[in-house]
Amino acid sequence: MGDIGISIPKQRNVALMIRCEHLTKTYNGVPAVDDLCLDIQAGETFGLLGPNGAGKSTTILMLIGLIEPTAGACFIDDLEVAKNPIEVKHRIGYMPEDVGFYATLTAEENLDYSAKLYGMGADKRKERIAYLLDLVGLDNVEKDVGDYSKGMRQRLGLAKALINEPKVIILDEPTANLDPQGVADYRRIIGQVADEGTTVLVSSHILSEVSRVCTSAAILSRGRLVVSGTWEELAAAATGNRENITIHVETHSPMPAFDDPAIISVDYSDHRQKAKIVARSDIRDGIADALLAEGIAVRLIEAQEPTLEDVFLSYYHEEAVL
Amino acid sequence: MRSAGLQVIAAKEFGDHIRSRRFHLIFGIFLIIAIVGLISGVVEYHENLDQYNKMQETVTGDDQNYYSSYFSWKPSIISAFTQMISLISAIGVFLGVAMSFDLITKEKESKSLKILLSHPIYRDEVINGKALGGIAAILLALVIVFGLSLAIILIMGIVPNLEETVRILIFGGISFILIFSTFAIALFMSSIAKDSGSALVYAMIIVITLSTLVPIIQSGGVMDVIVGPAPEYPGVVFERTVPMGAMSSTSVMVSSSNDDDTKVVDKEEYERQMEEYEEASQAYWERRQSVRDLIMLVSPTSNYERIALAVTEPMYARSLMNSGDYYSFDDTRDEIPQDSLSELVELLGYLLKNIVALVVVPVAFFGLAWVRFMREDVR
Repeated sequence: MGDIGISIPKQRNVALMIRCEHLTKTYNGVPAVDDLCLDIQAGETFGLLGPNGAGKSTTILMLIGLIEPTAGACFIDDLEVAKNPIEVKHRIGYMPEDVGFYATLTAEENLDYSAKLYGMGADKRKERIAYLLDLVGLDNVEKDVGDYSKGMRQRLGLAKALINEPKVIILDEPTANLDPQGVADYRRIIGQVADEGTTVLVSSHILSEVSRVCTSAAILSRGRLVVSGTWEELAAAATGNRENITIHVETHSPMPAFDDPAIISVDYSDHRQKAKIVARSDIRDGIADALLAEGIAVRLIEAQEPTLEDVFLSYYHEEAVL
Repeated sequence: MRSAGLQVIAAKEFGDHIRSRRFHLIFGIFLIIAIVGLISGVVEYHENLDQYNKMQETVTGDDQNYYSSYFSWKPSIISAFTQMISLISAIGVFLGVAMSFDLITKEKESKSLKILLSHPIYRDEVINGKALGGIAAILLALVIVFGLSLAIILIMGIVPNLEETVRILIFGGISFILIFSTFAIALFMSSIAKDSGSALVYAMIIVITLSTLVPIIQSGGVMDVIVGPAPEYPGVVFERTVPMGAMSSTSVMVSSSNDDDTKVVDKEEYERQMEEYEEASQAYWERRQSVRDLIMLVSPTSNYERIALAVTEPMYARSLMNSGDYYSFDDTRDEIPQDSLSELVELLGYLLKNIVALVVVPVAFFGLAWVRFMREDVR
């Protein structure tokens, strides 16, 4: 199992777009984010994973300058957020979890207001708004945003996050209210934005969503960084030298107890005709020989790659135990 | 470097106000009543003017000198605006509350505050922009009311002179400050309340307290509690002639006119008591007046009504400067500036504490709202 708080080193030749240095935020003495160190490279699509209350949203609010850190600092494009809030906000597009707009305005009017706040000129606003409404599938919707479904508001939130052609977009639980078509559209748009070189930071507690769009991730728990890196690096760090071995036998004879010292745990089922073994090395040959010696025919014996869920849960459980 | 946020937010807020049904409804009622009040004021002005002209024609010779002091005051069209004072202090204050009680809470309820603050703007631009948008909408409302009022006056063939125009502008200015006072109170409540409903309730409590309860406090029994009872009158005494033998008599002071229940009072002692009573009584009523003035200063509507009445009702203004009495119309002043604009300046100087108090309330509440919003924890 990987060590707690490990951060797998990034390539040195790629610029960092987001950097957190010992970032800490406490509320009434209780840490919401605790000594977080995190590097996200420019152009990376990065996931911030963790259960509810892990500190993801607090981290994001510090990154976009809405709350100030209690200690430490965060940087966007080498600008310290707390010292350069306006410059940083020009570089960021942000969509919160509960995306909210002005109910009595249309999508176009809401985006126009937002574009004006970014100081965009009239022609540029018109062009950009038309492009984005088409991109998120709201180009033919004339009604006020107050009459939108949650999914439509989420789409508009994505358009708003992109209005200023940001270097970084930060999305907090972006698929929370989307229907399957909306989720597919969201993935397509994020893919397109990432292909254009925009750094994307997605916060979610839904592993599958993050894994579909992100190339790297960090796992937070109780405000602390558990691990960060690419999915492969996370899996390797999570599993270390461990092997998950599954065995099915043919006969009604129960499997014997295995006494290989490499075995960490054995989980039997179906009257000991099935077993899941966690071992420190690949001991499939030894097990097969032991079963044949007992006259038990082996129907299946295989080593399994850990799923992302296994990786996530292994880190989460490790942190929870601590 | 400031961003363009202030201007953009103010423009958006202004647009929101003038498109809002709430604003249309209250402003509509306000406008109708204002115009009706003004028309009745103009009718009254014409009647007073006719009386004045008739009096000028009929009074001649020595009589003219006698009556001239009373009738030297030609009725002014500015008096027609007096009708609007109670209207503005009754409905205008609710317009201010209605415009701002949900300015901050609505952003929180609709979850738009986080998105708004994620734009490249400073946080103070949000609250300042909201205030500026509100100020612009209030000014627009008052410009419409006063513009229509002036139009009606002109249509009715009355052309205000320079002094009257200045008085109308001052009246408009203090009306704006009053409405902005309640706007600022409700904005502060919006910044501290959890939801719009609570903000409205809090704002109404404060506004009603300041406009109704404070004036009630300054009168009657509550003042007795604050200042204490008035000094006790030493009692009525009567002078009675007492016979001193067959040929002479003397005068004594007695405590009752009833022969069965009377005591002789020492005259010197009684005069000393009366002197003490008069001193104590004067000090007491001056103290009571000071406390009353102080309490009234807290109430924006009381200050507004006092200033507005003084500006629109010259006779009240003169009595105010002469006696300091709120409701007396005695005109006993010896020297009244002949230049009416100078008199207006003097009047405003006299009312300075009320003007300052009227301005302090919106500034204080907006300051509180500003600080609260700047410290708002966005999570």
